Amino acid sequence: MLEYILRRVLWGVAMLFLVSGVIFVIFYLLPSADPATLRAGRQASPDQIERIRESLGLDRPVFIQYVDYMKQIFFHFDFGYSYQYETSVSSLIFDRLGPTASLTFGAAILWLLMGIPIGIISAVRARSLLDRSTMVISLALISAPVFWLGLISLYLFADDIGLIPILPGAGSYEPLSAGPIAWAGPLILPWTVLAAASAAVYARYLRSDMIDVMGEDYIRTARAKGLPERKVVMKHGVRSAITPVITLLGLDIGVLLAGNAILTESVFNIPGVGRLVLDAIDKADLPLIQGVTLFGAFFIVIFNLVVDIAYAYLDPRVRYDDL
Amino acid sequence: MKRNKALAVGVASLSIVAMLALASCGGSSGTATTDFPLPTEAPSDAQKGGTIEVLSGSDIDYMDPGASYYQFTFMIHYAMFRPLLSWPPGETKTPQPDLAAEQPTISDDGKTVTFKIREGVKFAPPVDRDVTSADVKYAIERGLMPGVANGYIGAYMDGLDGFDAAIESVESDPTVAPDISGIKTPDDQTIVFELTDTTSATLIQALSLPVSAPVPEEYAKQYDSESPSTYGDHVAATGPYMVENDAKGALTGYEPGKEIRLVRNPNWDSSSDARPAYADRITVKEGYADSASASRQILTGEGQVNGDFGPPPSVLREAATRYKEQLSLPTSGGSRYVSLNTQLAPLDDLNVRKAVLAATNREALRLTAGGEAAGAIANHFIPPDIPGFEEAGGFDGTGADFLEKPAGDLALAAEYMKKAGYKSGKYDGNDELLMVGDDSASSRQIGEIMLDTFQKLGFKVNYRPVSQEIMYTKFCGTPAAKVAICATTGWLKDFNDAESLLDPTFNGNNILPSNNVNWPQLDVESINDAMAKAALLTDQDERTKAWADIDRQITAQAPALPWIWDNSPVIWSENVAPVINLFNATADLSYTSLKK
Amino acid sequence: MSLLEVDNLRVAFDTEDGRVQAVDGISFSVEKGKTLGIVGESGCGKSVASLTMLGLTRSMNSRIEGRVEFEGRDLLSIPETDLEAIRGNEVSMIFQDPLSSLHPFFKIGHQLSEAVLTHRDVSKGEAAKLAVEMLDLVGIPNAEARSHSYPHEFSGGMRQRVMIAMALINDPKLLIADEPTTALDVTTQAQILGLIDDLQEELGMSMILITHDLGVVAQNADEIAVMYAGQIVERSSVEELFFSPQHPYTWGLLGSIPRIDRSSEEPLIPVTGQPPSLIHPPGGCRFHPRCPYVQEACSTEQPSLETTGGGGTHHSACLLSETERKALWASLEKSPDPASAIAAAELKVARR
Repeated sequence: MLEYILRRVLWGVAMLFLVSGVIFVIFYLLPSADPATLRAGRQASPDQIERIRESLGLDRPVFIQYVDYMKQIFFHFDFGYSYQYETSVSSLIFDRLGPTASLTFGAAILWLLMGIPIGIISAVRARSLLDRSTMVISLALISAPVFWLGLISLYLFADDIGLIPILPGAGSYEPLSAGPIAWAGPLILPWTVLAAASAAVYARYLRSDMIDVMGEDYIRTARAKGLPERKVVMKHGVRSAITPVITLLGLDIGVLLAGNAILTESVFNIPGVGRLVLDAIDKADLPLIQGVTLFGAFFIVIFNLVVDIAYAYLDPRVRYDDL
Repeated sequence: MKRNKALAVGVASLSIVAMLALASCGGSSGTATTDFPLPTEAPSDAQKGGTIEVLSGSDIDYMDPGASYYQFTFMIHYAMFRPLLSWPPGETKTPQPDLAAEQPTISDDGKTVTFKIREGVKFAPPVDRDVTSADVKYAIERGLMPGVANGYIGAYMDGLDGFDAAIESVESDPTVAPDISGIKTPDDQTIVFELTDTTSATLIQALSLPVSAPVPEEYAKQYDSESPSTYGDHVAATGPYMVENDAKGALTGYEPGKEIRLVRNPNWDSSSDARPAYADRITVKEGYADSASASRQILTGEGQVNGDFGPPPSVLREAATRYKEQLSLPTSGGSRYVSLNTQLAPLDDLNVRKAVLAATNREALRLTAGGEAAGAIANHFIPPDIPGFEEAGGFDGTGADFLEKPAGDLALAAEYMKKAGYKSGKYDGNDELLMVGDDSASSRQIGEIMLDTFQKLGFKVNYRPVSQEIMYTKFCGTPAAKVAICATTGWLKDFNDAESLLDPTFNGNNILPSNNVNWPQLDVESINDAMAKAALLTDQDERTKAWADIDRQITAQAPALPWIWDNSPVIWSENVAPVINLFNATADLSYTSLKK
Repeated sequence: MSLLEVDNLRVAFDTEDGRVQAVDGISFSVEKGKTLGIVGESGCGKSVASLTMLGLTRSMNSRIEGRVEFEGRDLLSIPETDLEAIRGNEVSMIFQDPLSSLHPFFKIGHQLSEAVLTHRDVSKGEAAKLAVEMLDLVGIPNAEARSHSYPHEFSGGMRQRVMIAMALINDPKLLIADEPTTALDVTTQAQILGLIDDLQEELGMSMILITHDLGVVAQNADEIAVMYAGQIVERSSVEELFFSPQHPYTWGLLGSIPRIDRSSEEPLIPVTGQPPSLIHPPGGCRFHPRCPYVQEACSTEQPSLETTGGGGTHHSACLLSETERKALWASLEKSPDPASAIAAAELKVARR
């Protein structure tokens, strides 16, 4: 197992190198805005632009730039300076991780709390009116654009522009250090909006898993043992059906931490990683794009690993020693 | 051109439904700018104290006053920094002394401009010392360093003695600010600008921008030696407000993309400044991606004004009826136009260009921006409130028949096509025209309208919507890309002088192989010559007349289709007593107060 | 009184294609300490019947009629909670595929002690101890250590031993074994059957042994019921059935007893043709479309299960007259058909 984890970590590192290389190449080969030109202003002369290009180090060969960049990261954990913010990339990212993590983990708890019971009940009462109606609602939630859902929720419940002004609206994010209530209040709407689609996905996913599992022979065995039905469902059924859900959860959290909550962060004005990515791309801010992408890849690699390890604990049939 | 969010991005989040709703109730009698308040003075009972919140979609461009070049950043910077000259809220003609004690004196030959600096202006902590003329000299010189990269001094101050030598010097050592020999500081309170020619008019105007705000060299040097400069993280304020900072000067109140917290500058002396500075604190809250909900938040909220976004059409309409007293529509000093490549067949034929202009429905184009409240329909290139606008024909236009009918005149267009040699009145050649526009929702609508117009005239058009940055850097700014039509170009004044609007954009001598902003690539010798002469005029009336005349000449060349002179809507919460700065077309944070 | 008395049990399922009459009026009884073998092709309703007896088909859109009396209580009408108290306690089941029938994520010791804890008021430690004892009893070597293993770590035969241990851990009065050896190879089959036989004797329980393989019941059963298309077509003591089978379908089954030289995976088709649809069963005798001795009346008249001899313990549902059947079986027995000859030989071996 230990050997396996070690091997996976090495793979992850190789993966991060690959990602960073690809980003470099994409940035240089594909049409994109030129950071030097953007910085120069509209009436700059070609000379001026060239000087700025030199000062940003963009005149050196791509390969050299890449090697220098990786050296800085490797030896100094230095991800460079953002062109746009003139601040160190790592401090920008660390600054933005808190909000994104708050949003992600809170939403994940919420969507599990909503999705799992709904999935189980729907599976046990498959084809009932309850099941059919929750599945229709979940389909609607999955299809609803997050941005739209976010705006609707603001217009309904935000304390500044809402019809029923009961919850803090856009731009009211507070870090956890401001106190748990000040922190959680403004996150209620974003959590709900981000969790809505996922709760629906998880409910549907768990439902179909659960229906399959409840048809398994070992469920019949559990019943034949005389176990009460509640225990058959909650212990034997859920224990099996939940495993793929845990996998999904790990990957979803990794992806969200990598900045994928971009729409929710935008509509609720939460200063998270997603918004940082958006700004960075908009401004052709290479060091920032690189940094955010690497951090994102890092989270995805880490959570993949976490999922694999969790899987080994959850499903005793999986043994990594054999791999 | 300083960046203006409304111009640059248009109204990106505007929905088609909202636009149609606005269009259907619009018609000819709609919202006129004058229906709304345009306060340029604080009420006599204005209160001191409280916090004003500025809501914004994105961050400022640069905290460094030497690098900032963005309307929204100027809104903040004019509350933090004191350039030699600045624009009091109601002023549109002449910048007024700010750090300068009085208006500059200009030598008889028009080549030397001398400023006296106000005494007792101090830098904010931790610099804590009196400002001297050397601080202004350093501020301008550091703008040439690639790590600061000021975007406009190259255009407006290149007439200074020793400017070229300074550029050479900075090329050999980019970590040190070069000396511009034409800027002299005979004593601590005097700064002299020596020009090689009589270009003092633009120089003086340019000195009303944040680059002339003093920068303490001994403090800034260490940050400027880095590339890019990190002085932006340590700026030393001179105005009534400063960003919260620590004992070393590092800004603790600036969280890029999140928040900027301005507090009172303890070293600011109100007796040295006309700004009343009512609010105790100004907090800029960034990241409001949806301008509709953010605008509503301002209108229904408390103590808030808009930053880098204007209300989208749906909210603008609501504001115009329900919140009449919370909306102001100052003109932005910018215009938007569709650029036609005057060097590329068949658009190199003046009659073809006139036909395109005649055929286009500019009312339809204006609807993409939000209809009448968005601004007046343009028919030449100097916008309202800029000297020369009235003289060039004002809202009635220059008299060009092809711009007479805002809804378009297809019959006239056909006539011009015939004059150009197309007997049917339609283009019958085989050239395919490349049209590029930015790909935001409203800009795409502009593209569609132009596509339709060109097709009506028989042209085949290859329309490529791309991101705005790509449009400027890869296509429209690069003549070699042979773009025939740049659908979504626009230009915003840097200051209230027509030269800054017409010279970079229509002077043939300014066509560059990259980063070109003369998008139509207009190169008419008589116009180029007229501009060269007009640039040297120092008398305001003469200048105004000359540039108005140039505007007429350019319009007659039909290098581009002007279609709107943008308004720059300002909105505020009910308990805010706003003062609008007509020059910057935003709320003036140093004059705006909270009602009790 | 019989331990279990099944009277006219009918089970139907409503499906999208129509109503499937899986069990259509079967009756039988199981005496204390005795073994009833239920034999038939897959899909004949034998598993459904056994699951229904324990209420395991209740929630499946089923319509259940008749009576299943266990020690005088009708299992079809008692509440679910009462049934739960009987399941795995007084009546246990073991199933065909021991791998899929054990939960893959729980250790087998846990799965066994769970069965104890469900029905008995003992501590977890005692339950675990009992589990180990039981595993030892069914012949799992090193039972203490193996109780901490997961099902996939056992071989097929060992898994079935675990299943048996789990079924017997609460000392049931009746064990229903549904194809307990079908998934196992021939050698293991014999071991498992021997184990079940030994344990039955040791614990003194009754058993219903459900199989498609007459060879299996030949060894273990006292009485045999042959099912076809949801109905019992023949019922008798094991000797009667093998020496004097009365139903043409039984003849076919006897002719298909697997042989040592044939692999157990080879499909067994007792008679030509396909089992009938249970949604639209054939009229008259359900076996008539496949019966080589079909008569005109067979397609219209449904035969009932009638006593045909054997001292009143042999019952058969066939429209052929007793003399006709005797003559036909006699000729079949003498035929050179090797299958039935070997079957008879094996039977003799088994009886010794």
